[in-house]
Amino acid sequence: MILEMKNIKKHFGDHEVLRDISLSVDKGEVVSVIGPSGSGKSTLLRCATFLETIDGGEISYMGDCAVKTKPDGEVSYVDAKDLRRFRNYYGLVFQQFNLFPHYSILKNLTDAPIHVQGRGKEQAEQTAMELLDKMGIADKAEAYPYQLSGGQQQRVAIARALAMNPEILFFDEPTSALDPELTGEVLKVIRQLADSHMTMVVVTHEMPFAKAVSNRVIFMADGVIVEQGDPAQVFDDPQEERTKQFLRVFER
Amino acid sequence: MTLSTMLTTMSVGMLRSFAVFMLTLLGSLPLGMVVALLKKSRFGVVRALINAYISVIRGTPLMLQLLVWYFGPFYLFGMNIGNWRFPALIFGFVVNYAAYFAEIYRGGIESIPVGQYEAAEVLGYTRTQTFMRIVLPQVVKRIMPSVTNEVITLVKDTSLAFTLAYQEVFSLAKQISAAQTSFMPFLIAGIFYFVANYLVEFVMARIEKSMDYYK
Ligand SMILES: Nc1ncnc2c1ncn2[C@@H]1O[C@H](COP(=O)(O)OP(=O)(O)OP(=O)(O)O)[C@@H](O)[C@H]1O
Ligand SMILES: [Mg+2]
Repeated sequence: MILEMKNIKKHFGDHEVLRDISLSVDKGEVVSVIGPSGSGKSTLLRCATFLETIDGGEISYMGDCAVKTKPDGEVSYVDAKDLRRFRNYYGLVFQQFNLFPHYSILKNLTDAPIHVQGRGKEQAEQTAMELLDKMGIADKAEAYPYQLSGGQQQRVAIARALAMNPEILFFDEPTSALDPELTGEVLKVIRQLADSHMTMVVVTHEMPFAKAVSNRVIFMADGVIVEQGDPAQVFDDPQEERTKQFLRVFER
Repeated sequence: MTLSTMLTTMSVGMLRSFAVFMLTLLGSLPLGMVVALLKKSRFGVVRALINAYISVIRGTPLMLQLLVWYFGPFYLFGMNIGNWRFPALIFGFVVNYAAYFAEIYRGGIESIPVGQYEAAEVLGYTRTQTFMRIVLPQVVKRIMPSVTNEVITLVKDTSLAFTLAYQEVFSLAKQISAAQTSFMPFLIAGIFYFVANYLVEFVMARIEKSMDYYK
């Protein structure tokens, strides 16, 4: 098991955003998370990546427990230094790319491997060039983020996450900030990763993509997992009324 | 008095003005960063103290502040510090400009999108690394125009050193002008300030340009 989230609870004020969500992801699995706006999809990824602290539950990576909840309800995280060790396990691709504008594309990919993971410069640069090549943007290595299209920037962001050699990659609506004609190039890259058995959790509104690429689809609404399963089953033969209703909107 | 003796006498004043300028920058540019970071401190007391400091400094004339730093130790605490004049002067300038730079830095730091911090955090950067490698370089670029303004103001503010009878170029100009009934010293002082600011603008433009490679 790469990731194990158990009974996750999260609220903002008195708004319960995640209500007892459990999610496990096996090596090589590609999980799509779909659901209406405000259902808690981003919050789930932000809790998994420790950008938000949970109010209850347990999160482990590779069997290594990062946070647990005692019987009396007290949530205890490992300390900040240990938490950084967990960051080696995963990468996150943001909707808004969040590249470092003052670094060249190459440096965006090598800075963390060198200064966080302590890898050698040459090796980091070689890995970075290989990744850029895979993403089809090797010719942009010396460019700066502002010189790239949105689709290219997002591919750099994916490469930046991969450069850390994570066990699992999270995507939060990776194509939502892109012009429609640019989504294809990003989805294609994610599809390639799926073909190479990269473990991934993808929050997306691209239903055909989710159906084609994932091994499992999770439908979330109001902070709970309403339904999950094989994409063919969830998309073509949903069991829950809430799922049917949601998918009907997309068919139109 | 010939023009050349006038220039020689005044060039001492120019050097003294330049000393105030450089020492103030050397002290206040880094101190401003410390103040800006303390303003974001976890401790409410620290934040309140910093806010009070900034608002008092910005709300009172620098001339008055210089007098307080110079005479304060004696009148308030009965202390007699030998040779306190020049240190009090530099101290007053540094403390004053640090407050202004702190506000500029704070604005710059707050203008960095939260996504930059989150991307860095997920990549495993420590807080210090995130600040030094990701945030600060972008802040420096963004605040350059405001810093330039402040530095130009400082060039002109150095003339306030006369408050503590420090003979910088402007007070020398007044003295010589009165003694010689000549307008020339003021003209020389004016040219000095103008040329100094011209150099400041030139240097700052070069620095800004060196950061033009990204947006
Ligand atoms: N930092 C926050 N403070 C307060 N409320 C928040 C915060 N972040 C999210 N929320 C609320 O939590 C709920 C779930 O938000 P979340 O972003 O996880 O939804 P989502 O499923 O990702 O939606 P979308 O499809 O629009 O991205 C929303 O009602 C949102 O307003
Ligand atoms: Mg979202």
